[in-house]
Amino acid sequence: MSITRRSLLLSGAAVGAALAGSNTSVLAAEQELTLGVVGVLSGPAAQWGLALRGAVEFVAAEANRDGLIKIGGAPCKVNVVAIDSKYTAEGAAAAANTLAGQGVKFIIGPIGSPELTGVKPIAKRNLMLVMGNSYAKDALSPQMPLVFHVGPGPSGWADPIIKIAKQKFGIKSVVLVAPNDQGGTDIASVDADAYKKNGIAATEEYYQRGTTNFAPIVTRIMNAKPEAVDLASSPPGDAGIMVKQLRQAGFEGPIGRLGGPGYSEISRVAGGDEVLKDFYWYEPVFIDEKAQQIADDYKKLLGTERPENNLFFQWVSGARMVVKAIAKAGTADTAKVAEALRALPVSDPNLGAGHWIGQDFFGINQELSFPFGVGLVTGGKLQPTMRVEAAGGK
Amino acid sequence: MQGFVATGLIGISLGAQYALLALGFTLIFGILGVVNFAHGGFYVLGGYLAYSAVTFLGMPYALAVVCAALGTTGLGYLFERFALDRLIDDHLATLMLTLGLYMMMSSGILVIFGPQSPAFAFPLTGVIRGYGFFVPVENLVVLGICIVGILSIYGLMYHTDFGRALRALADDRAVATAQGLRPTVLFPAAFALATGLAGLTGALVTPILSLAPHIGDPVLATSFLIVILGGLGSVGGATVAAFLVGMVEAFSAVYLGGSKGALALFVLVLVMLVVKPSGLFGHRVRGA
Repeated sequence: MSITRRSLLLSGAAVGAALAGSNTSVLAAEQELTLGVVGVLSGPAAQWGLALRGAVEFVAAEANRDGLIKIGGAPCKVNVVAIDSKYTAEGAAAAANTLAGQGVKFIIGPIGSPELTGVKPIAKRNLMLVMGNSYAKDALSPQMPLVFHVGPGPSGWADPIIKIAKQKFGIKSVVLVAPNDQGGTDIASVDADAYKKNGIAATEEYYQRGTTNFAPIVTRIMNAKPEAVDLASSPPGDAGIMVKQLRQAGFEGPIGRLGGPGYSEISRVAGGDEVLKDFYWYEPVFIDEKAQQIADDYKKLLGTERPENNLFFQWVSGARMVVKAIAKAGTADTAKVAEALRALPVSDPNLGAGHWIGQDFFGINQELSFPFGVGLVTGGKLQPTMRVEAAGGK
Repeated sequence: MQGFVATGLIGISLGAQYALLALGFTLIFGILGVVNFAHGGFYVLGGYLAYSAVTFLGMPYALAVVCAALGTTGLGYLFERFALDRLIDDHLATLMLTLGLYMMMSSGILVIFGPQSPAFAFPLTGVIRGYGFFVPVENLVVLGICIVGILSIYGLMYHTDFGRALRALADDRAVATAQGLRPTVLFPAAFALATGLAGLTGALVTPILSLAPHIGDPVLATSFLIVILGGLGSVGGATVAAFLVGMVEAFSAVYLGGSKGALALFVLVLVMLVVKPSGLFGHRVRGA
């Protein structure tokens, strides 16, 4: 068979057309959007980071299942990249830089105040949208319009919890204990103000992050003879040791935790609910049957149990809001997504309706607020979580 | 006065734990001339070995502690014999090797056991109370074992041929070797003894505090602080410094506050280094 110039051209054109066609389909199939997770994945606060990572992986799986995201009208697969921030500003900054280097434009997380402080300048420089946590006094600001807040800090929820604890346990004085960095001092000081507004004398105690034996600090607390101790934002591992050592020292009063959740790990490290005895804490989400449905969906979608910490539910709602805003904007342009996010009503299929708040405390209305819960252990027995309406106002 | 007694007891309890831990660290430096960055890792490993023995093998806690100490002893022996020994006089190489081992140990523990603290409790509970003080029973037991451990190390180092041989090697390796002592046999043994002590401390202390993959970092920092304060390589110095650190930590945290307590320790070391750079019992800074 002889090869003519015509047949050569025809076959060349056919191959070219085939390649062009396959290239289009490859391009379409390869359109991807990455959600970056900056979270603490090691150390005593790791339970929080695992909850964050699990939540974002779940929301990405939901978005992929439902074909939710279209960029420029074309379907888009959602990926997740998680990097350990080690609960430090420098660790979180390094993680954000790595994500920026990979072209990631959306960060879900981080959790703690030092981490968010590390992430914000990197996010601003690289025009990244951040849906973070942090109970710092400067978590949000009008100068950082691409930074959103997954839920209110103590300014939003401390007051109703303290009212419940006061009514339940009759507290007149409290010592608040937290690490001596921004992740501790900002929260403990806001909590302390809320206690004082409720007529409870409050003093603050701080410890060096990384402390493993709290016996001296416990002795100092015992010398102050408070009626209650509040562990504020101490990581669950640290809080568990403190509860155990407080009870060993003979402290009989209620112990609170107006900071991040972690009841299960605190109870485990302390030695059980009978050691907690009288204990009250902030649950970022009120977990009823409808909220619990998220855990069942998680198992169906990802094939494993959901992460243990209840921050998981809050991160699901926050990540869902970001994904909804990307879907609504139809672009990965973070300024347009932020605009869409601000305009979205606060609602979640499982957690119900909430509000955008933050104007009064931060000067910018970019804080999600959903109904939350107050956990209680009384007399060593776990009580049903109490539901509190979402913090409203501005 | 009541708080003073309670604080003193806490200081003694902390000091005994620190002493057992720092003795191993200073033995390795004094005899081998190696700064063991993996010391905190052996402490954590001891805790996890004891936890595994209790939880997965159903061993009684006392036996699990022995197994944990033996496990870290064995690993220390193998590491010195097959990795460290080849580069024993290269200080930078040994530093990197021990640091690398620490990272491998902590990462391995993280992968196997996960980042969360497992439920690992001391089998004895209860608190003894007196006028103005309280002591958890578990702390008393650990204190007792630590003191027996410290005395045993002293007995071994100062009243046995093995101890004399180790001290001879620490004093002058060339002369000791010329006298027939064999570093290739004694160095792994010394390293194993030290890592066994770290493992024993981890197995004893982690159930009364908490067990997690990262807790080797503060342990390493404390060990460093103690051996610098006591005098690098000095067994007696490390023991005295450990109790001093325990006391300073307890009293400063109780009377000045948690943040200032941590600061007080470093101020103490700073003052010591300015006034007596060789530490409390150090004769000279070992040549690098």
